[in-house]
Amino acid sequence: MTQPRTVRVPISERVLEINDDIATQNRARFTDRGIFAVDIIGAPGSGKTAILEATLRAFAGRRKPAVLVGDLTTRRDGDRLARYCDQVVQISTGQGCHLEAGQIRDALAQLDLAAVDILFIENVGNLICPVGFDLGQAAKVGIFSTTEGDDKPGKHPYLVNEADLLLLNKIDLMPYVSFDRSNFEADVRLLNPAVPILGLSATTGEGIDEWLAWLERGTV
Amino acid sequence: MHEFSIAEALATQVIKHAPEGARVREVEIRVGVMRGLEPEAMAMSWEAVTADSPLEGSILRMDIQPWAVSCSACGRTWTSNVPFNVCACGNESPSPAGGDELDLISMTIEEDEPSSAGKDDQ
Repeated sequence: MTQPRTVRVPISERVLEINDDIATQNRARFTDRGIFAVDIIGAPGSGKTAILEATLRAFAGRRKPAVLVGDLTTRRDGDRLARYCDQVVQISTGQGCHLEAGQIRDALAQLDLAAVDILFIENVGNLICPVGFDLGQAAKVGIFSTTEGDDKPGKHPYLVNEADLLLLNKIDLMPYVSFDRSNFEADVRLLNPAVPILGLSATTGEGIDEWLAWLERGTV
Repeated sequence: MHEFSIAEALATQVIKHAPEGARVREVEIRVGVMRGLEPEAMAMSWEAVTADSPLEGSILRMDIQPWAVSCSACGRTWTSNVPFNVCACGNESPSPAGGDELDLISMTIEEDEPSSAGKDDQ
């Protein structure tokens, strides 16, 4: 009879290796085709879809956008965006609180990538889960809004730390809500000293031009 | 609840490394505090994901890593339990330098016969 023996096997690799490998393949596809891919992360109701509506309206006729939009259920966001853009794919995540690289790869099969130069990936409304899953994007954009309160960056440090750009939406509502922009920016600066912060209002259009200019500067 | 997705990914990684016939008793991961993984939710997800699999009954050990902060003014790097820290040199805006780890570190297996996995044993 052999005695069972216990062995500790060192491994040392990333837990999300499979996701990360697919994300790397997605990124190579975007880079090869000159597509600027942006992962948009924000809380439910922060205005992700509204900002995209304004963006697609402004880009009509001069850019070739496509949108992948993730939600647990319903096609509502996809339907809203399809009014301004021919290439919109709604990804239903079921119980998933975030998009994963494999879902992006599968959704790309439904797009005509030759007719795309900028890809918006609207993640599931959530400030925590989506941040750790690389999708292959060139840039990660975090959206906060004034109605959420000025303390949110400090409470969601991973997003702030990882973001290439932060949008502060609903600045038109600033006079009516308890929001101190200097507190907000101070919290952000401690976590990400270099990230640009753009204030805007998807409703009034204020600040949208600066967001569009940032997108136009985007390179793959 | 991202813990569930992460538990699923982790189980796939572990099974890939486990020699055939070995019983996995323990899995060790290193998790930066920035990842926001709740140990209780993670343990529950691990139990659910590994049920009826070769990993059933294995213990998940989470080694939580604190924030690592670095100061661009004086070059010092240190760990902290909070992201917001003023550097000893007076710089009020040091940058986060770590705390986002999510790595599979090791597994502990029980086996009847010595197998090739034993060669990797330290």
